[in-house]
Amino acid sequence: MKIRGMASSLAEHSAPLIAKIERRLFLKQGLSLGAIALLSGCELTEDDAVQKVLTSMSRWNDGAQAWLFNPNKLAPEYPESAITKPFPFNAYYGEDEIRPVDGNSYNLELAGLIRDKKPWGLPELYAMPQTSQITRHICVEGWSAIGKWSGVRFSTFLERIGADTTAKYIGFKCGDDYYSSIDMATALHPQTLLTLRFADQILPPRYGFPMKLRIPTKLGFKNPKHVMAMYVTNTNPGGYWEDKGYNWFSGS
Amino acid sequence: MPGIRPLRSLVVTAVFASAFCAHGADSSSTPGKAMKMDEPMPIKMKKQGMRKGDVKKAADNKEREMKATMDKESAEGAKK
Repeated sequence: MKIRGMASSLAEHSAPLIAKIERRLFLKQGLSLGAIALLSGCELTEDDAVQKVLTSMSRWNDGAQAWLFNPNKLAPEYPESAITKPFPFNAYYGEDEIRPVDGNSYNLELAGLIRDKKPWGLPELYAMPQTSQITRHICVEGWSAIGKWSGVRFSTFLERIGADTTAKYIGFKCGDDYYSSIDMATALHPQTLLTLRFADQILPPRYGFPMKLRIPTKLGFKNPKHVMAMYVTNTNPGGYWEDKGYNWFSGS
Repeated sequence: MPGIRPLRSLVVTAVFASAFCAHGADSSSTPGKAMKMDEPMPIKMKKQGMRKGDVKKAADNKEREMKATMDKESAEGAKK
């Protein structure tokens, strides 16, 4: 009777311990699998089947992020004293390789599901109602910086050109060959800006003259610079980094 | 030689001026230098083997890929 009691007491006390050991074993095995994958020189991630699984997971992730995205929730804004100086330059090329864009001949091209596709010059964009924000640019590389951006609320512009706002995507082509795209909900977000100024000055080339798209609800690579053309579409246009495996939605 | 001194200062000024101009003309830190397409990207986001010229190639492919859709949707957009 006493032995039986001890046995049941032991079982009762050891149950959490066993569970703990099982968890450790599971983690250990998981890590071992990860280690094997790494030791195989990343062959596992290069494999087509694995890539397909990872891509489908990323697509699922896009859907989940889009579903969770609150079109009325604003990204934090900061005081002027919080502005990062100097604001970093980041691109796939060096700062000395920035392609100059002539502001006098600049015409923003419009295509796709847009009623009025007349190109927009800089004077017309400057004449639109302007708004400013001091927001944090968050880079997928792991750094962030706060800057002051001013320009035209993108939703106002889309309304003005007669864009079909029931369409799913907006694609962007840039003067430096870069391209990207965003979802319509983000395009209509009140903080998404056609940015024409940085720190109250005309947008300098290093930050995307003549115009960049500023989206404080998304990671930096979803904020294209030197935007030359945009199109409204129902076909996901992807993007340079997005097509290389970076998450398409990339909310920040 | 009274004429030598002004001449010397003129030469010194010219040397300094040309050095200053040469420094200004150094385009290594000014935008507009042609992009070296076959160079590796300086960005941390890059994956192994990515070169600067890859972006243009990918953009051209995307343009071709999207063209039919763009033409169709542009025609639809005009009707609305």
